[in-house]
Amino acid sequence: METSDLGFELLDKWISKLFECTKISEAEVKQLCEKAKEVLMTESNVQPVKCPVTVCGDIHGQFHDLAELFKIGGDSPDTNYLFMGDYVDRGYYSVETVSLLVAMKIRYPDRITILRGNHESRQITQVYGFYDECLRKYGNADVWKHFTDLFDYFPLTALIEDQILCLHGGLSPSIDSLDHIRFLDRVQEVPHEGPMCDLLWSDPDDRCGWGISPRGAGYTFGQDISEAFNRKNGLSLIARAHQLVMDGYNWCQDKNVVTIFSAPNYCYRCGNQAAIMEIDENMKYTFLQFDPAPRRGEPQVTRRTPDYFL
Amino acid sequence: MDNEHMETEPVDQPSSPPKDSFIPEIDSSAAADVEMKDDLHEPSESNPIVSADSSKSPDSEIVYPIAVLIDELKHEDLNFRLKAIKSLQTIALALGPQRTRDELIPFLDETIDDEDEVLLALAEELGNFVPCVGGVEYSHILLRPLENLASLEETVVRDKAVSSINTISQSTSQEQVENFLVPCIARLSEGEWFASRAGATKLYPIAFEKALPDTQTLLLNGFEKLCKDDTPMVRRSAAIALNEFIKVMSVDVVISHGLKFASLFLNDDQDSVRLLILDPLVSIAKALSAEQNVTYLSESLNQIYTDKSWRVRFVLGEKLVELANALKDPSLQNNLSEVAIKLMQDQEAEVRGAVCTQISGLSELIPLEDIIDKLLPHLELLSEDPMQHVRANLAKNITSLCKKFGPERTISHLLPIFLRILKDSFPEVRLNIISQLDQINQVIGIDQLSQSLLPAIFELAEDKQWRVRLAIIEYVPLLASELGVQFYDEKLSNLSMSWLGDPVYSIRQAATVNLKSLIDIFGIDWACKSVIPKIMAMATHPNYLYRITTVFAITTLAPSITPNVIVELVLPTVESLMADPIPNIRFNVAKSIEAIAPVLSSDKSTSDLIDSRIKPILEKLLSDQDRDVRSFATRAFQKIDVASK
Repeated sequence: METSDLGFELLDKWISKLFECTKISEAEVKQLCEKAKEVLMTESNVQPVKCPVTVCGDIHGQFHDLAELFKIGGDSPDTNYLFMGDYVDRGYYSVETVSLLVAMKIRYPDRITILRGNHESRQITQVYGFYDECLRKYGNADVWKHFTDLFDYFPLTALIEDQILCLHGGLSPSIDSLDHIRFLDRVQEVPHEGPMCDLLWSDPDDRCGWGISPRGAGYTFGQDISEAFNRKNGLSLIARAHQLVMDGYNWCQDKNVVTIFSAPNYCYRCGNQAAIMEIDENMKYTFLQFDPAPRRGEPQVTRRTPDYFL
Repeated sequence: MDNEHMETEPVDQPSSPPKDSFIPEIDSSAAADVEMKDDLHEPSESNPIVSADSSKSPDSEIVYPIAVLIDELKHEDLNFRLKAIKSLQTIALALGPQRTRDELIPFLDETIDDEDEVLLALAEELGNFVPCVGGVEYSHILLRPLENLASLEETVVRDKAVSSINTISQSTSQEQVENFLVPCIARLSEGEWFASRAGATKLYPIAFEKALPDTQTLLLNGFEKLCKDDTPMVRRSAAIALNEFIKVMSVDVVISHGLKFASLFLNDDQDSVRLLILDPLVSIAKALSAEQNVTYLSESLNQIYTDKSWRVRFVLGEKLVELANALKDPSLQNNLSEVAIKLMQDQEAEVRGAVCTQISGLSELIPLEDIIDKLLPHLELLSEDPMQHVRANLAKNITSLCKKFGPERTISHLLPIFLRILKDSFPEVRLNIISQLDQINQVIGIDQLSQSLLPAIFELAEDKQWRVRLAIIEYVPLLASELGVQFYDEKLSNLSMSWLGDPVYSIRQAATVNLKSLIDIFGIDWACKSVIPKIMAMATHPNYLYRITTVFAITTLAPSITPNVIVELVLPTVESLMADPIPNIRFNVAKSIEAIAPVLSSDKSTSDLIDSRIKPILEKLLSDQDRDVRSFATRAFQKIDVASK
């Protein structure tokens, strides 16, 4: 890896360009995705991660808020990061956001882990904005194709020091051990049902047992399920993203599950705070909350909501 | 496509001549460019047919580009068509002016019916096409295709076409204006579809400027018709164009026609039209004398002051000072300050917020006593406005009054308002006034500032919003340099150190930069006593993000520390951290060595240490099990080696 065909210098150039929210060219995206495929291919469905690490939830193309996240949590590679999916769709800068994270992943594979979210999929991105954004910013769908082909290689879950399982959605009735996850064939479009789909789509719920998810994919799972799963696999916690929570993080199921959401003022209108979870070398966690970054140079959207919207 | 274009450039550049000189070489480069598009994957080979041709018959090489252009313009990929449009100039150069006029322009005029993006590119290219058709004397040829583009529905295409016509017309002669531009404007103005009429409005100013007096009258009548157009879109364009139009009118015409146009808009039943009238009004006021303004504008002004639409009052609020300065007459200006006070009490928050941006300008127009008696009570009310963005605007602008008030009145009248704003519940409001502390400082002096505002500033140093804390940190070096070392040690030292342990990374980072500035101010002896030991003590913090701050601080401070202090106080810490269990710390140790090494080698007494103590650290890191540590150690090693040579 150290003598890679994509030189550090070039990658550093791309990263600093992307940090200014300037997209890289179509040919560069192609190169980027090819290289990322090589890196991600070697990772496990349950990618082991060492502490200390800072765990982050949904970003959804809110590039300026991702930049704010790094201002709060520290720059890469000085701080280690684990992102739990949903980099694209909804926000205005999905292209820049996902390009930056993938470039950072290739540059420092040991310092940053990027998992797959339910939005890292061909089908979902055609509905929620990433496809249109690629078309608008590059004039054709090739960049979208490069990225969605790459998404198939993203790991599904990560395991911090054999204690904290990190994943985008939640548990699955067809999975009761980490080895089940390890043996899934993940390199494919997110299926409509089955274990891989559930990991990316499920939500915790107040009711016991398994329930039908209102999302139309995945399941809801109760405290009994997460407790049993954690006990069986020797886990202390399941950290996941996927759901908007107003404080940016939310404990549930007697601290068996925590939800982390890192897109402040989601969709530029939800008014929520964002959060990240810092885990230090003694596995002690601290939550850092943050607000949307001030938008310099962008038109001010806050200017007076007309009464008929309220 | 961008990238492909970049790749072609190195091939093109050596042979491509400057754009305005046409020499036969040109079409080999044009052909090379064309050939690339045909076969994208083999960029560097030249087309044998063309190079053979260019040595034989000059005729056949000219036919080739236009045939290719036609193909390209029909290509199904939008990007190819776009690229074809962007290479039009090259093709025109190859054809020469005569054939460009006779064949290329009519071809473009007749055959182009494409997506807006292509048309936009065409409208833009045609604006730079004057040299290609043989210079200014033929520039009217370009009006035909541009006229068609200027009547399209898509606004961006239309605007670009209009602006290209304007660019071309800058240099055309009176005769061309009379014979070509004016008829073109007439046709557009009579267009059935609103788009062409809206486009036409923006061409009147340039035509008017250059036309003969009789034609000018016709143009004025034509414009008046557009001012009364049925469609609001056309009236809006006309209202925007009026601003430029006024600037090219003589004073007499402003009075005879400009005022008439303005009053048409002022009485428009659409507020989206009325709000556009402020800019033209400012231009009218500038063109007229103070007395004329009183005579001709008083009525219109009163009308706009009391407009029932908040959007109009909002624009008025934003342009109060500009308008006042243009009006020149003291009584009209006085009137306007009354209006300002009224707008401060407007029922719409947007309007109140807009007036706040004018405080600085207003303070120069209104006498001090009036500001204190009339304006100040309303500013006090605005500091408690229910809408936060109004308070934020006020906080950003109110400090501009300090200069006018002078030290004593600032303390007696303004300080209470400042203190209230500093405690505002909304962080942006607090931030806005903190970023203006400098302005307050300049007027009342640091002693007064520290006495009256420091308690409030201390509170903000622990503000929940990190950007507020950041603003305070950035202010500390100034405070420290003005108030001296004793004051700093007593009042600010603990704060400065506590920022190093802030939960937010950017604050910790700013804290290290702050300490560097303080060392530059107070000197190295002070640093050895008060700062460096405390930073080094943090190297044993149980959380790596804080230990890493020690390393960051070493990297930041190194240039301000003397070599022997590095040896005594810093190096031991670096040596202990190089064995830290966390790889992030270890590779930052490597980075910090890049900063330390130059300091050590700058002094004879310590330069030996590079070999005896620094290199062993890097050697150990070079064999680290983490690849990032090895990579940063390699980089540091290379830098030291380069420096020693």
